[in-house]
Amino acid sequence: MKSPVFSQWRGTVTVVVRGEAIESFINELYRQGIRIWDLVALPDGKMEMNLQVADFFSLRPLLKRTGCRLRIKKRSGLPFTLARLWQRKWFGIGFAVFLAVVFSLSQLVWDIEIKGNVKILDEDVLKVAREERLYPFQWIFSLPEQDKLSAELNRKLPGTSWVGVSRTGTKISIQIVEATQPKEQGLASPRHLVSKADAIITYIYAEKGQPEVNKNDRVRKGQILVSGIQGGKAVVSKGEVKGNVWHEYNIEVPLLRRQKAYTGEKKERGYLFFGKTAIQLSGYGKVNFDHSQMLTEFNPLTWRSIKLPIGWMSEKILETTELEIKLSKNQAVNDGIERARRDILAKHGANSVILNQKILHEKTDNGKVYMKVLFEVEQNIAEELPIVYDQGE
Amino acid sequence: MSRFVRKFRKWTVDALGLPGDLVLDLPRLTLIGNKQLYIENHRGVVHFTPESLHLELSHGKLEVEGAGLVIKEIMPEEVVIEGRIFGIKYRGTEESK
Repeated sequence: MKSPVFSQWRGTVTVVVRGEAIESFINELYRQGIRIWDLVALPDGKMEMNLQVADFFSLRPLLKRTGCRLRIKKRSGLPFTLARLWQRKWFGIGFAVFLAVVFSLSQLVWDIEIKGNVKILDEDVLKVAREERLYPFQWIFSLPEQDKLSAELNRKLPGTSWVGVSRTGTKISIQIVEATQPKEQGLASPRHLVSKADAIITYIYAEKGQPEVNKNDRVRKGQILVSGIQGGKAVVSKGEVKGNVWHEYNIEVPLLRRQKAYTGEKKERGYLFFGKTAIQLSGYGKVNFDHSQMLTEFNPLTWRSIKLPIGWMSEKILETTELEIKLSKNQAVNDGIERARRDILAKHGANSVILNQKILHEKTDNGKVYMKVLFEVEQNIAEELPIVYDQGE
Repeated sequence: MSRFVRKFRKWTVDALGLPGDLVLDLPRLTLIGNKQLYIENHRGVVHFTPESLHLELSHGKLEVEGAGLVIKEIMPEEVVIEGRIFGIKYRGTEESK
């Protein structure tokens, strides 16, 4: 039979018995009710057996009666383990202390993370959290309940619409949702809206201030569109005024366009570099390109975003050719107008609309097309002009 | 046990169909392959080596031959043997049959 589980618990000994009448010793054993198991006869006439610790001390009279001698070979089980442990009690105590320290360290708040704040400072949040007994190296179990904590933080932090507190291990995350506040308007001095250019008004909307012109009126550059003097008081006039403006463009487009292009032929060179010196390792040989472009690339060894002064440098030599593209006159004209249109949109706002275009004059000379083009553009023409008091009076 | 009593018991076993190990104190052996042997109703160990085990019975002796024999457990009436068992022999029981 296998040694029972409980025998391990109570402790077992393996003994070797020698003597003349071992068989009768064994017979005596079980007759006395002593349990033994795994009885093995050793080649030199001895026998090895297992028995429980409790039975061990009742062996002595039997041994005497049968004239056998006994030697303990092995002790196992809980009592012996405990005895061994007792000899190393300081080790055991140290281990227990270690476990206690690790456990108690895991019961501390180590880190407070604040997320979602844009305008509210971390320091302010931490200060309020400290008032609520939430700070680093505080015991987790002495923290207030999480819903109470978040409610208190929300109450005490102005400008928050919601505050959530959650704990992951030893880390506390404070999630803040800031209340959206209306955009603060900068203070502005009283002003007029005046025209930027000579134009014909197509749209006028005065949010504030006195409109001075009507739709379809012709205005000059600098003329007041929306006045900042309303009922004898100076106000900050505000509004949107659109008008048709003419822009004249002098455009010249060459008929022959030169363009660089890669042929696809390339050569690569590899270098190993140390500081300022580089040793070429690959890509020897002559380069027989007429025109070429060189791209140099550094690949330094990095360690945690620190670049080391050692690394690999590669040079790519790409062959280029010069392409000559001949444009027809029509293409050149279209090209020039397209360029001018893009220029208008960039200068006068993307919501400008080009209503009309007219080529006033066009000539081809010296391989170039010269043009004069007039564009009619509907664009924003309002410009702010501050009202200045006491002008030298 | 006197001769008469023994004869009477044998007769009861035959007549009533009772199992012999209960009434006649005969050993009951359970052999599992050649690996394990349970012997009930033994009367003690006479000789034990890894190659052979001699057991005392109420009549005669039982000899177990094998290799690497181990007494897994031994109790007043029962013994469990493990190892490679080659043979089981009775000695000194001829006259009782």
